[in-house]
Amino acid sequence: MIAAQNTSYLAKLPAGLKFGALLVLSIGLYLIGSWQILLVLLILSVLILLSARVNLRQLRMPLVTLLLILGIVFVSLGIQTTWDSALVSVLRLLTMCMFAYAVSLTTTFDAMLELFQQVASPLRHVGANPAQISLGLSLAIRFIPELKRVYLEVREAQHARGLANNPLAVAVPLVIRSLRIAEDTAEALEARGYDSAEHSK
Amino acid sequence: MATATTSQTRNTVYVAIFAAMIAAMGLVPPIVIGIVPVPITLQTLGVMLAGALLGPVRGMLSSLIVVVLALAGLPLLAGGRGGLAVLLGPTGGYLLGWIFGSLVIGALFKFWVLRQKSQTGRIITGLVSVIIGGIGVIYLFGIPWTAAVTGLDLGTSAIGAIAFLPGDLIKAVVTALVAVTVHRSYRALMS
Repeated sequence: MIAAQNTSYLAKLPAGLKFGALLVLSIGLYLIGSWQILLVLLILSVLILLSARVNLRQLRMPLVTLLLILGIVFVSLGIQTTWDSALVSVLRLLTMCMFAYAVSLTTTFDAMLELFQQVASPLRHVGANPAQISLGLSLAIRFIPELKRVYLEVREAQHARGLANNPLAVAVPLVIRSLRIAEDTAEALEARGYDSAEHSK
Repeated sequence: MATATTSQTRNTVYVAIFAAMIAAMGLVPPIVIGIVPVPITLQTLGVMLAGALLGPVRGMLSSLIVVVLALAGLPLLAGGRGGLAVLLGPTGGYLLGWIFGSLVIGALFKFWVLRQKSQTGRIITGLVSVIIGGIGVIYLFGIPWTAAVTGLDLGTSAIGAIAFLPGDLIKAVVTALVAVTVHRSYRALMS
């Protein structure tokens, strides 16, 4: 869901507007009980996705997962209630997700994160520290590839010892090494005088 | 002031590393079990570990960071999913459940499990805690969410969740054993 390369008309709209529209649309979709209208809206949502020239390759895996779940929902709902209401429910969810994809694929990660921070900014009054939140988010992103590497390394090492199928033999070293990385990083931050506490008081 | 700052930065780093662990566990290819293609990933193992090792507040924040990053668009969830559709879809409740699940696991570890004297007592109470928080609480959000969003009744929605139960029970056992082992060597982790 990376929208960095998208330059369509949707990408030019402010993130807050798209987010708000999606929210209103999602609520509105629950008020519609006719599958014909929902089908029209679904086609509309697909057209919007296509017109925004989003990178459709990114949608393949999420769509496969979503369609599988919706397939199961459709069959069980159809057996339990009527096939008509099953169709309504599945079309509604699919339409909602299509609109959500349209927003996510045309809004950069930075813009979305900034929007979330604005939405969450009242939390500042109950003691949340924006500098700490930014540090936490950026460190988490930075640590992801490192931890993936550590995870694969540990698994390989335990495989060589014949312990590849022992979840404990993989999880304990993974946790210990993660804690060590955290300690080293915290020490490095402190040694360089990193200080994100609020001094305004 | 200096010591308060020190521990605050340190806490943030711990929160971030466990958030990254949850995310990294979702990047490992999922295993498909049986005929019904239920993606089994280790991601909830990360959620459970964050609560059990970091305690309620920091554990909850780790899960929250992953949810925020995924909703903002990073493809961090199992199968490369991310974006706002994840929350609006039928399984959005499980994602919200992570946040509260790690909170409950953390609270139970802090105030119950780590007060047990014997190793066996800790492992048993730890396993109960992880099952309550990591399975009970997460399903408590996930099952009604699926029911509300799709129109299925609660029973059918719950049957859908049962497919995940064997995998989640294994993860709960692993979490309890790992957490008790690690807390033995890192005594100050939650104080």
